[in-house]
Order: sequence, then structure tokens, then C-alpha cells
Amino acid sequence: MTTPLLDVRDLDVTFTTPDGPGLRAVRGVSFTLRRGETLAVVGESGSGKSTTALALLRMLPGTGRITGGSVRLDGTELTTAPEDELRAVRGTRIGMVFQDPMTALNPVLTIGRQLDEVLRAHGGRDRAARRARALELLSLVGIPDPARRVDDHPHRFSGGQRQRVLIALALAGEPDVLVADEPTTALDATVQDQILTLLGDLTRTTGTALLLITHNLGVVARTCDRVLVMYGGTVVEDGPTAEVLARPRHPYTAGLLAAVPRLSTPSGTRLTGIPGTPPDLSLPLAGCAFAARCALAEDRCRTAAPPLTALATAAGPVRAACHPAAERSVPLPPPPPPVRAERPAPGPVVLAAEELRKTYRGRGRHRHTALDGVSLTLRAGETLGIVGESGSGKSTLARILAHADPADAGRILLDGQDVTRPGRTALHAVRRRVQMVFQDPYASLDPRMTAGDIVAEPLRAFGIGTPADRPARVAALLRTVGLDPAAADRLPRAFSGGQRQRIGIARALAPEPAVLLCDEPVSALDVSVQAQITGLLTDLQRDLGLALVFIAHDLAVVRQVSHRIAVLHDGRIVEEGDADEICERPRAAYTRALLAAVPEPVPAARAEEFAA
Amino acid sequence: MTSTLPAPAATGEKAARRPRHPYLTALATARGRTGLALVGLVVLAGLLAPLLAGHPPTDQSGLTLAPVGTPGHPLGTDDLGRDLLSRLLYGIRADLGIIAAAVPLGAALGCLLALAAAAHPAADTAVQRLFDLILAFPGLILALAVTAALGPGRLPVVLVIALAEIPVFGRLLRTGILAQRGREYVTAARVGGSSGRRILTRHVLPNAADPLVVQIAVSLTVAVFLEGAMSFLGVGVRPPEPTLGAVLSQSMPHLAQAPHFAAGPLVTVTALVLGLSLVAEALNREIRR
Repeated sequence: MTTPLLDVRDLDVTFTTPDGPGLRAVRGVSFTLRRGETLAVVGESGSGKSTTALALLRMLPGTGRITGGSVRLDGTELTTAPEDELRAVRGTRIGMVFQDPMTALNPVLTIGRQLDEVLRAHGGRDRAARRARALELLSLVGIPDPARRVDDHPHRFSGGQRQRVLIALALAGEPDVLVADEPTTALDATVQDQILTLLGDLTRTTGTALLLITHNLGVVARTCDRVLVMYGGTVVEDGPTAEVLARPRHPYTAGLLAAVPRLSTPSGTRLTGIPGTPPDLSLPLAGCAFAARCALAEDRCRTAAPPLTALATAAGPVRAACHPAAERSVPLPPPPPPVRAERPAPGPVVLAAEELRKTYRGRGRHRHTALDGVSLTLRAGETLGIVGESGSGKSTLARILAHADPADAGRILLDGQDVTRPGRTALHAVRRRVQMVFQDPYASLDPRMTAGDIVAEPLRAFGIGTPADRPARVAALLRTVGLDPAAADRLPRAFSGGQRQRIGIARALAPEPAVLLCDEPVSALDVSVQAQITGLLTDLQRDLGLALVFIAHDLAVVRQVSHRIAVLHDGRIVEEGDADEICERPRAAYTRALLAAVPEPVPAARAEEFAA
Repeated sequence: MTSTLPAPAATGEKAARRPRHPYLTALATARGRTGLALVGLVVLAGLLAPLLAGHPPTDQSGLTLAPVGTPGHPLGTDDLGRDLLSRLLYGIRADLGIIAAAVPLGAALGCLLALAAAAHPAADTAVQRLFDLILAFPGLILALAVTAALGPGRLPVVLVIALAEIPVFGRLLRTGILAQRGREYVTAARVGGSSGRRILTRHVLPNAADPLVVQIAVSLTVAVFLEGAMSFLGVGVRPPEPTLGAVLSQSMPHLAQAPHFAAGPLVTVTALVLGLSLVAEALNREIRR
């Protein structure tokens, strides 16, 4: 075997903080990438995956510095290379594709100009040749009719097309390595599918090696030959994708796989989340980063960091950083099959909507119809899942049902009473019965109020209890959502994303509502935390008899938590029915397309084992 | 029910250490400390003027245009034989009195108008046009107009500075309120049943106030200049009462023979403006993080 194209050894990255020791985001990461190979780096937020990718080209943000290790590209050391040498490497040897295609293109330049700029920086050929090459690149990434589109500005392209243009920009310098940092996270499932197909085709046809950074195991299974699993800044497992995802050796990989919702999992089952939260990287780490959350942890796991040890497997070399795994000859047992949680039968109808319409007026005469005659009913103790891609009107629906925005037409009935346009006192009464959990756990909490004050706010607003007994009520609510009541006097920034979402749920539960509207409550969270939150919502529904509206773009999560599912497309419900029925026997073409686009994390052969 | 998660960062000393207020952190930086020291020095000189000055600021002696270091007159005397140190210290005192009254007055009026604008769309239009009207007059034209109406003196200077600051603070707070009102936590508070007034005072205002604190430091700097300019043009505080601008104006014909005449006010204004700018910059950097 020839020398690897990219060889990363013992890479350490530290972010210096104004007070206290630095934050060690990446700790001793080693991996290699061969020509034409596709490698996925997978991990949850804070695992150091993006930092690793940025460190390759020394493009670390803020105070980040490489504090150890080496990065060799074809034998050239990059960590110590002078800046001008590095600039030559960027683009020509290593190209990068970023997460958000909406902001990564300059809106005032045509895409032809932007491609031309990159080509000039790398080649300096004459203008006609550059233009020909730009057209060639655009057709390579699948932009239809490139000769006409090349002079268009970015706003005339859809999100998926912009990501294609960004890939074209990254490929303009004919790099040996393409680094794609969460290239499909901001895109809808059907578009994600197209972009992943494109990346796969490109690596095959051009021989470019692909380093794909993602948090989505389904994307990994779909695109890459090899996978590197990161946790707490360290590599915990590394090997051929099929082998690692089917027979994980490290307990973290196994836990992550068990936490991923599958489309094949029937409605009403529970996912097994990984208990606890990721490690605080500003603290020194003695043993295995995962030991605190690991069910199989032994004493030595907490004292000595396990080295990445090669394990002999049938399918190829797998390495895992785990003391017990190094001694075990068999892979971890597969997770137990999902069990159906007992759910009370839904009660009478609480909330009903009839023919809701909402139109937003844009600039000039342009109008955008967000909701076009949506009707639905919700029973007590029932979960109604609402699925749709971006722009389908699902958030608008939630805001109208929560009376955050008024509807243009239609009726909303709460307990049989018309509450479409309530008066001031009626609105107050409605709000007490209908509460909402928001998508972004960072934006939905006032950064200047403590967790306790945030949860106490609705108690004050609805005059529940006396000021003297409110602290006790807040403590009880925090306990209900699984938080320590002692955390009540901390500001939101002291909490992790999952904990913030718990605060948001406690706030929504404070007025003892009958209906909880959840607008993408888990889409901003990591999979292991996502399973904790969906489990919490299911428990709360069982204990409090809540009616839930669960809005999400991820069909697998929605199927698992919902009794019924409504599929929303362009402001209309295209299909509605029993959750399992919709996922197994979809009738609408749009539902079928949506189902087909969901990448499954476990290869087909293994999925049968699960089913058995 | 789910098991209770441990509180974040509950381990040992980290929980005990409460995070410091960002303003304090900002002022503790080298930039913030230097700025505070410069401002503090000037303010102290103004406050202690009656103790530090050997002579009343309007007393005339026989010595005219005495050089620096003359016994009894450490900074020399002016063309009328008045002690320059005394005039400088009392000038600082007068200046500080004016800006300390005018800037908070302008800021308060601006913020009140911004709140009115936030309350109702019709009020918003009215307030916006009022701001435009004030901004349509350049500062000095406004100064001349006000003085023409009220006559020279301390009050017109305060009024002119306050008027000039109203739209600055008003627009800043209005923008802040609009930006915060679109945030998700405000929707959450609305759905949570909080009243409009409580949302404004408890959620929106505290989160929109950061830029105002920086603006106060910037506005104090502008006020120093504006007072100086008005007194320099003779439309400010009435002579013989000293202000920094008036002393500077008086020194102009004698610059060739007695450059030290202008040095005192120039150095003081520079120190004050530099100090305030450093404080503003330090606050701004900390808040933007």
C-alpha cells in the first residue's frame, strides 16, 4: 500500500479562554485518508469533528490553536507550513464545502463571477478558458442548463442548487481532498439525498478523496466507505462503515446507534437515549471521555485513557478506544428490540382546526400562502405528528394554534368553543390551556433570566399560587422534566441544549395546559439527547394526559412518538392517518418521496436481524 | 418519571464562582482601566477645584500672560491677568456640570420617545419624523438657533446637547426593541401569558439596553466637543465664567506669544475624550462577545 494522501497524527487543538485553562477541543486525533477514499467523521456537537476539519488547513476560529501533533498532506507538514504555502494548499489540494449554502455565497456577485474568481486564483488562464471551465464545473455538479444559469445571482437558486454551486467552487481547484462539513444538515431530506448522491458520484469519477463531517449516521451509511466516531475530542472507534455500524465495538457507537430513530420502528415505542451529558472539555480528562455515561464502564476506564487498539474482525481493520472492547472477541450485543410503551387510549377531542388559512404579504404584489385550508383534530392524551419539509407551513400552523399569530380565515375550536379571535380575557384562558415548546432551545429562553424565573413566569402571568409557594412549584416542575431544582438560580447559558429544552418544557407545563404544541422540539438536539426529550414528552403525556402536537421534519421521530400523522406540503395536508399506516402504506406520492429520502443508518442485512 | 439529572457545572468550586457582570469585566481590562483613570483624573480635578486653585477664577492680578511656573500661578496667567490653573479647574467643573446634566437628560428623553414608538405604530411614525426633524439641523446650527432664542448661558448649552442626543438614543433603543421583539423568547413569553407591559420591561428592555451603555460613553465625548465648540464661538456659557471652550477661544489671539495659554484646555479635553472613548470601546468589545 502506498503512503496515505492525508496523515493526521496525535492532533491536539486548544481554545484559550480568558479565565481558566484552555478548552481542549481535540485530543490526540489520528487518522489517514487514501486517494479516492471516502471517510466520515461522525460525532455529536462538541465532539471536535468540525474543529478537526478546520485544523487541517489551520483555519481555526477565534483563539483556537494546534497545540500538538502533525498533519501531513503527501508528506508535506501543514501544521508548521508558512501562511503563503498554506494558501496554495487551500483550494488546490484541499477544497471545503460548508454547512449553510444560504450564507456561503456572496449575494451580489453572479455565480459565474464567483467561480471565475476561484479559477483565476488557481490558474490564471485566459477568460474564455475560465468561463468554459466554470460551465463544465456547473454541469459536473448537476446544474441544469449551465450556460444560462452561470450569470444568475445566488438568490435565483434553491438551497440544494446553492450547495451544488458550493461544491463546484470547492472542486474548481481540482483538489485531492474534499472536506465537507455537514453539507446537508441545512437541507430537506429529499435534497439531502440528491447532494449525497452527487458527492458519491464525484469521488468515483474524479478520484477526489472525501472527508465528510456529519452528525447523521444515516448520511454516513449512505456515503462513506470508512467511518471515524468521535466523542469528547477523541476518536473512539474507526473502521469500515458497514462493520462499525452493524457491529459496533465501542459502547458509545452502540449507544448512538440505539438512539437513532428508525423509520421501521413502530409508533408508540421508546428509544434508548444515552443518559447524561457530554463532558466539559475545559476540565482535564483522566480516563475515557465516555466513562461517565457508559453502562459498561469499569474502574480503569475512569483512570487511564484507553488507546485506540486494532481489533481483528472479518470485514477489515476496526480500531476502538475502549479497555473492555480490546479484550472482548465478540462485538457488543445488539440493542434489545424496541418495546411498545403502554399508552392510554385517546379521550375526547380537545383542539380542532377548520380550514385554516394564512397568507404572508411580501414585497410588492408578491404573496406567499403558508397555510391553505388546513383542518385537524386532536384528542386528549393523543399525539398528532405533523411532518413536512421547510416551507410547508408547519411552523406557521403551530404559531396560529398557539395564538402567536392570527389566522386569515378558518376556525379554531378548543373544547368545542370557538377561540379563533378571542378577546383579551378569553385569550388568557386559551393560553392557560394551550402551551408551546419551541424549536431553538437557545433563542427561546431569555438570556438574562434565571431558569427558575423563566419557569415561574407563566405562574405569575396566570396568577397560579402565591409568590411564597412559587419556588416550591418551580422546583417541582424542574424535577418533573428531570432537572435538579438547585439549578433554578442559573442563567440559560449554563445549561446544555438538552437541558435548555427541558427548561422550555417546564415553562410550558407550568400553567397545567391540556394541549402542548411542540414545534421541532428535538431538531436542534443531538441524537442521544433527542431520545431523552422524546422519552420525557411521552412520559409527561402518560402522566398528565396531555394532548401533543409534535411537529418535525424527521419522519422516523414523528412515527415513533405519534398516534396519528399529518403530512403537510405547500400549506395543505396531503395525507393524514394512523402513524404506522402512513409509514408502511403511504398513499400520497409526496409521502412516498419523503419516506424514500430518509437515509437509514444500518445496512439492510443487519436491519433484518433487528426485525427478527 | 425520568431520573433527575445533575445540575450543570455543579462540581465543586465552579458553582461557587458566580459569573462577573460583563460591564465589570470590561472595565477591568487594560483598556477600561486606562480610560477610567483618565476620566477619573479629570473629574477629580473638577470636583476639587475650590481646594486646588489658589485664586478665584475671575480675580485679576497685575501680571498678564505670565509664563508657566510663575510663583503663585503654576500655569501662568491669561491676557487679563487671571490665574490659568484656577480657570482651567473651574472650567472643567463647569464643563462636567453641563455634560453630566445634558447627556442623561437627552438619553432619558430619547428612551422615553423610543418606548412610545414601540407602543403604537402611529406613535412610531410621529417619533421617527421628530427624530428626522432634529437630525436635519447640524449641531452648531441648532446651537445658534437655540441661543438666538434663549440668549447665551448655561441652559442653552444643556438644551442643545440634550436635543442633539435625543434621536441618537431614541433610534438606538427603538432598533434594539424591534430586534428583541422578533426573538423567539418574546413569543414564548407571549404564549406563556405575560402581559405586553411585562414583556417590554422584563424581557425586551434589559436585552436591548447594552448598546445604550456604550452610547452614553460615546455621547459624553460628543458633549465635551459640543460645549467646547459653543463656548469657542461665544454662544455658550457667558464670560467671565470659565469653561474649557471659553479659555481656548480666549487664547487664540495670543497663540504666538503664549502657547501655554491654550495648552491646559487642550490637554484636558484630549484626556477626557480619550478616556471616555477607551471606556466606550472596552464596554463595546465585552458586550459584542
